[in-house]
Amino acid sequence: MLGLSRATFRQRWPLFVGAALTVCIGVALVQSSLLVLISAATLPVPAGLAPAARAAFVEGSTTAVTLSALTLAFSAFLAVFIVSSTFAFTVAQRRPELALLRLVGAGRGAMRRLLVGEAVLLAIIGTAAGIPVGLAATRFQSGLLVGLGMVPDGFNGEWRSWILGVSAGVGIGVSLAGVLVAARRAGRVRPLEALRDTGDSARVMTATRWVAGLLFLAGGIALVILTPIGGAAGGQALGGNAALCLAVALSALSPLLVPVVARLIPVRGPVGELAVAALGDGVRRSAATAAPVIVLVGLVLAQATMLTSTTAAGAAEQRRATAGDLVLDATGPVGGDVTDLPGVAWASTEVVLPLTVSWGSGDDVEREDGQALVVDPAAYATAHPGREAVEALRGGRVAVAGPGAGAGSPGDTVGVLVGGSDLGPLPIVAGVPDAIGGGADLLLTADAVPAAELAAAPSRTVVALAPDADRDRVLAALAALGTVSTVPDWIAADTAARETTTVAVFTVIMGLGGLYALIGVVNAVVVGAAPRPAEFATARLSGLTRRQVLRAALLESAAVTTVGLLLGGLAAGGSFIAVLALTATMTGVATLAVPWALIGLLAGGLYLVTAVTSALATWSGTRRAPVSLLGATT
Amino acid sequence: MVPVTTTTFAGSFPGTAPGTAAAVALHGVTRTYGRGPTAVRAVDGVDLEFPRGAWTAVMGPSGSGKSTLLHCAAGLERVDGGRVRLGDTDITAASDDELAALRRERIGFVFQGYHLIGALTAEQNVALPLRLAGRRPPRAEVRAALSMVGLGDRARHRPRELSGGQQQRVAIARAMVTRPEVLFADEPTGALDSASARTVLDLLAAMAARGQTIVMVTHDPAAAARAGAVVFLRDGRVADRLVGASAHDVADRLVRLEA
Repeated sequence: MLGLSRATFRQRWPLFVGAALTVCIGVALVQSSLLVLISAATLPVPAGLAPAARAAFVEGSTTAVTLSALTLAFSAFLAVFIVSSTFAFTVAQRRPELALLRLVGAGRGAMRRLLVGEAVLLAIIGTAAGIPVGLAATRFQSGLLVGLGMVPDGFNGEWRSWILGVSAGVGIGVSLAGVLVAARRAGRVRPLEALRDTGDSARVMTATRWVAGLLFLAGGIALVILTPIGGAAGGQALGGNAALCLAVALSALSPLLVPVVARLIPVRGPVGELAVAALGDGVRRSAATAAPVIVLVGLVLAQATMLTSTTAAGAAEQRRATAGDLVLDATGPVGGDVTDLPGVAWASTEVVLPLTVSWGSGDDVEREDGQALVVDPAAYATAHPGREAVEALRGGRVAVAGPGAGAGSPGDTVGVLVGGSDLGPLPIVAGVPDAIGGGADLLLTADAVPAAELAAAPSRTVVALAPDADRDRVLAALAALGTVSTVPDWIAADTAARETTTVAVFTVIMGLGGLYALIGVVNAVVVGAAPRPAEFATARLSGLTRRQVLRAALLESAAVTTVGLLLGGLAAGGSFIAVLALTATMTGVATLAVPWALIGLLAGGLYLVTAVTSALATWSGTRRAPVSLLGATT
Repeated sequence: MVPVTTTTFAGSFPGTAPGTAAAVALHGVTRTYGRGPTAVRAVDGVDLEFPRGAWTAVMGPSGSGKSTLLHCAAGLERVDGGRVRLGDTDITAASDDELAALRRERIGFVFQGYHLIGALTAEQNVALPLRLAGRRPPRAEVRAALSMVGLGDRARHRPRELSGGQQQRVAIARAMVTRPEVLFADEPTGALDSASARTVLDLLAAMAARGQTIVMVTHDPAAAARAGAVVFLRDGRVADRLVGASAHDVADRLVRLEA
């Protein structure tokens, strides 16, 4: 049987190269994300850092760990999805040949052994190539994290020898998972199919597709419903996963949806009709090409929109939750100096300190890093409408949960370490509402914190001018204490910084994965075009020129891409609803910021990639004179 | 003029005891496609025995059900009613794997479209059924099968490097390499020029002379006349049969059936 595989490989190498390539990149991405994740998670904090620098280091590497974990999850998902859809499609494309084997007496077991054997072979080749490619990916991902300042210079996902086992397991595991269902189906191919030239005689909407489609659809809808109760971080994850589930569901159901959407595409002339007819006739092929487009568009659009929408909602929330006219960035508790200035109605100084909270005792202590804000409760309540719960701080040595909400809930008593000072256990007596844009985790008063910690810490002071104030004089006086900006400017600068981080986060999570999905699209187009020379030859014998055949193929690929974009948009739509609900719950205002520029770029890129691939494949498929291709049934 | 025997009802051929010596026997076989008012009964209650060691041609107008009959007889198509026996084996309800084993070991196929695997050489195509049966056939055995069809020197050619007639001969070698009890041929000369068709029919005749059972569907009276007996189908039923008829008689009978 291996001889058969070898011979088939020589003839159909694009199919096999494509399948091995998807395994290779899948292995590379999973391996790389895992190495980066472990290296970031075990990054030792350098000794002798000042508390603030230490806090910044810890925050950076924590973010790096979160991002790497997300990248790992995303890579693993894509590896499973793309490898299994590629393998299934490859098997589907070989159906006539498999039917022929059945005709000469191959039993179900022999068919399964053949396909599984081939898959293992491809997996081994893909994994062997994927491991070195993974090393390059590790350098790239590590470089991204360094570039974003989350980890120090020189950081690199360190090689671990056990990763070889993981990579081999991933490569062979996803390949087997991908081929098993396809091989089962292939075992049931009826030998008579070999005698029919119609090709795609198999039912495309299989039971597996129905079950997967409906399950993931239900899962996606459930996640959309759950998103608003997930809070700032959890809600984003739930919303993103909702799009992921919906994308898988729509890919599985795409054989039903592609022809429906295709019918809506207006066509004129024989070439257009040929293109749309081919789209409907080759449902399996159209669905296989649309699937990676749906997943790519669904995920990228959902992630990007969730990020931009929450940032926009955070900015709006910050505007609503900040009264006053000016913000002074300075060092230490400058509150007294500011309120003494003539023309200042009130001022709320908030000193920012690195925070570590701990729960439990003895060996069973859990720690969480975050940020503490030392405030004057009355002034803070005035400066931040809606956060009046802060007044509970007047009760003495107590703490109030901040808008970042990462240090515990009212009722908890937590060990508090700010800067270098251990404040001992403090009860959390109240909490201000969670903010979608995050913020300090714990609010404290100056009474609880040593003055030495406060003196060196950065602070910001929200200042309101008295009605009769001389604005310029106040500005000049404040400028002597630190950097002054208006409240709107200060919020805008803060939002811009968050947006930069958002773009960076998006690039880290989606960059390589998006590229992988794009390769999946190219692969599907190439695999889909492989058995079509005879079809093209028939079209040319019916009077179409080579150029017209090419135009029909281009129209068809543009139509499939359009369908993929629409269905991907629909999947992302689930997360749009989720983010609207999330922002409405958390900030009271439903916010949706759609990144149109990104959508344009993505759509343009996809049209370009599918058009170029399909043009090349069709041109190569029409190279030989049409008459020589007819009659060659296999 | 060769004497012509005609019977107008189903039954065995003269000289064959019913149920014992038949290589393939169909009893009350029906096969319907579609459902409801659009249903087509392609094979309609056929009783037929193909005697061992004989070459039988099946003829009939287009849509008479001759290919479906062949597919049912070979276990490629499930029957809706009736029974199909291959030798002593009732294959009516055989499992998929049993049918696959049957195709590997006891029956051979030749089709109009050759249906060779394009990626494999002539030699590899011929060896395939044996290898699927888990055997590693000696090269000599495979070469002998190819030599028998006159293609000993084309063993390493791929199908696309062979003419239609040569491809069909490779297909015959593939079908015969397992020494099948029955060779089923569906329009084996349908796609060939007359010279190639003659070569293929000569091959079949030589095999029949050595005692090979052959069941052949054809629409070519000249091809049918080479067989020992001809069964005529119309509307899924056995309409007529001839033994030892000339091409002219066969054509004549066919024209009358189509009228």
